[in-house]
Amino acid sequence: MGCIAFAILLRYVIISQVDDDLEIEKNEITAYVSQHGYLPGIIKVHDQYTTYKTIDKPAVTKTKIYTYNAYDSMDHEEVLLRSIQFIVNTNNTYTLINVSKSLESVDELMQTIILITITLILLILIVTFIINRIILRKLWKPFYETLESTQQFNLSDSQPLNFDNTDIDEFRHLNIILNGAFNKAQQDYHSLKEFTENASHELQTPVAVIKSRLDNLIQDENLTQQQSHSVEEAYNALNRLNKLNQSLLLLTKIENGQFSAIKQINLKEKTENKLNQFCELWQGKNIKVQKTLEEANIEMNENLADMLLNNLLGNAVKHNIYNGSVEIHLNQNLFIITNTGLNHPLDENLLFTRFYKTNADSESNGLGLSIVKQICNVSACSIAYSFSAPDKHSFILKW
Amino acid sequence: MKILVIEDEEQLSESICEYLSNEQFVTENAFDFNSAYEKISLYDYACIILDIGLPGGSGLNILRELKASNKADGVIIISAKNSLDDKVYGLKAGADDYLTKPFHLPELGARVDAIIRRKSFGGKIKIVFDEIDINMNEKTVTICGKETMLTKKEYDLLLYFISNKNKVISKSAIAEHLWGDNMDLADNYDFIYTHIKNLRRKMLQAGAPDYIKSVYGMGYKFSLIK
Repeated sequence: MGCIAFAILLRYVIISQVDDDLEIEKNEITAYVSQHGYLPGIIKVHDQYTTYKTIDKPAVTKTKIYTYNAYDSMDHEEVLLRSIQFIVNTNNTYTLINVSKSLESVDELMQTIILITITLILLILIVTFIINRIILRKLWKPFYETLESTQQFNLSDSQPLNFDNTDIDEFRHLNIILNGAFNKAQQDYHSLKEFTENASHELQTPVAVIKSRLDNLIQDENLTQQQSHSVEEAYNALNRLNKLNQSLLLLTKIENGQFSAIKQINLKEKTENKLNQFCELWQGKNIKVQKTLEEANIEMNENLADMLLNNLLGNAVKHNIYNGSVEIHLNQNLFIITNTGLNHPLDENLLFTRFYKTNADSESNGLGLSIVKQICNVSACSIAYSFSAPDKHSFILKW
Repeated sequence: MKILVIEDEEQLSESICEYLSNEQFVTENAFDFNSAYEKISLYDYACIILDIGLPGGSGLNILRELKASNKADGVIIISAKNSLDDKVYGLKAGADDYLTKPFHLPELGARVDAIIRRKSFGGKIKIVFDEIDINMNEKTVTICGKETMLTKKEYDLLLYFISNKNKVISKSAIAEHLWGDNMDLADNYDFIYTHIKNLRRKMLQAGAPDYIKSVYGMGYKFSLIK
C-alpha cells in the first residue's frame, strides 16, 4: 500500500514537474510571439517535440495538457508523451502549438528512485533489527535476571531474595517491589513455621502431664470397669494427639534441614530389619509378605531413611485388608511397595498433602505421606503412586 | 534411696514423684535452677531426673556441676527438645540416659531402675524377683531353677515388668517400650497380647505362679500374688 501510494505520489510530482516545464515552454513561446510578432523556429531538442499547425479561429483558446501514446520513429517503439496544446494568435493567424515531452525518462527516473528507496528501506530495516536485538538484549538483561532469580526463589529458604542492581528505573522499581513481596512472603512463611514449631513444643508439656497423670490414675485399684474404659479411650486419644504433634514437629525439623548428615545406607539390610520389626503387624492382619530384594545403596540421612521405611511399611499394614498382601521390590535405584486395600484408586493430587485421609474417621493423622514426600524432597529422590485393579496400591520410590 | 526430680512443670514433677515413690525410693523435687543447684550440692542422690529447660538456668549446667564435683549420682535427662543433637549433647555431658517428653511413667521407672542397678551393683548384675533370676550380662532367665528360653521381646517385657513391679502398666506404655514410639501402631495392641500370653505360659510351665494380672483390658500388673 505504502509503496503504491509512494509510486503514485512520485509519478504525480514528476508529471506536475513536466507540466511546469511545458507551461514554461508555452510562456516562452507566447513571450517570443508577443515580442517578435512571429513564431520561433522549431529547435530539435531531445525528448521534446514541438509542432505548429495553422487553424481557423477557434471557438475557445483554452490550454490543454494531456498524456498520450505516440509512435517514436527514431526508437521504433511506443512512447508515452505529455503534451501541452495551446493556440497563439500572430497577426490574426491562429496557430495550434503542441509541445510534447517524453515521459520515458520519467519512468526511468521513477524506477531508479523506487529501487534506491526500497534498497534503503531494506537496509534500514536490517540495521534497525540488528540494533534492536543488541539494544533490547542489553536493555532486558536485568529483567531476565530478575526472572531467573524469581524462578530459583524458594519460600522455605532462609536467605532473602537478592536481585542484581540495574540502572534502568523501571526494572529497579520492579525488583524493589518483587523483593518486598517475596521477603514478606518468606517472613510470613517463617513466622508461620515458627508458630507451628513453638505450638508443637508447647503442646509437649501438657501432653506429658496428661500422660503421667493417666499412668498414675490407673494405679488406683478401685477403678470400675467403666472408668477403666474411659481411661483407655483417653490413652488412645492422647496417643493420637501425641503422634500428630510429633509428626508436625518432624515436618518442621525436616524443613529446617535438621537432618542434614548424609551417609551411604545399605537399603537392603535396612529393609530387612524393618520387615522383621513389622513382623507382628503383618501377622496381626494375616498379611502375606512377598519380597524381592536386591543389593541397593542410597545416600541419605539415616534417621530419615528409617522414618521413610516406617511410614511406607506402616501404611502398607494400616491401609491393608485382612488376609491381604504386601509386595516389596527393591533394586539399585527403585523401591516399590504394593499393598492390597481399597478397591478404587486414591486421589494422586491430594495424596501427599497434609491431613489428607481416605476416610474421615481413620486412625491415621494424614501426615504420614506428607512426611514421606518431605523426606524425598530433601533427599533427592522421588515418590510416586500408582493403582492397579482391583485393589493394589503401589508407592514407587526412585533415586 | 533418694531420687531428685528437677522439673519446672509442677504437675509433671508431682506425677513422677507419685509414681516413683515406694518402699524403696524417696523422691524430692526442685522446680528451678537455684533450688536444684542447692540440693545437689548438699545431698547425694541415687538418681536425678533432670529437665533441661529450667527457670534460672540450663539443666546442662547442673549436669556439668555434678560431673565437676565427681558425684556418682545417675542422671536421666527429660526434655521436650526431641532433637538428636540435644540427646547426643546431653549424653556427652555425662548423662546416663535421655528421655523425650512426653513419656510414660513406667518407661521412666524402668530407666531409673536400670541406672540404679548399674550404679549400685557395678558390673555384676543379677535381678531376682521371687522365683525369677535374670542374669543381665548373659541375658539368661532362670525360673524356679530352670533355665527358660525367652525371645528378645519376652525378655524385654519381663525386665520392664520387674522394673515396674506392683504397678499397672498401660498397653500403650508397653507398646512404646517394645517397639519404640517411631512406629505407628495405630492403637492396635493385639500383638502385645500375644507376647504377654507367651511369657505367661513359659513362666507357668516352669512352675512359677501367675505374676501377670490383666487389669480390665486396660493394662497389666506384675506382682506377687498375695
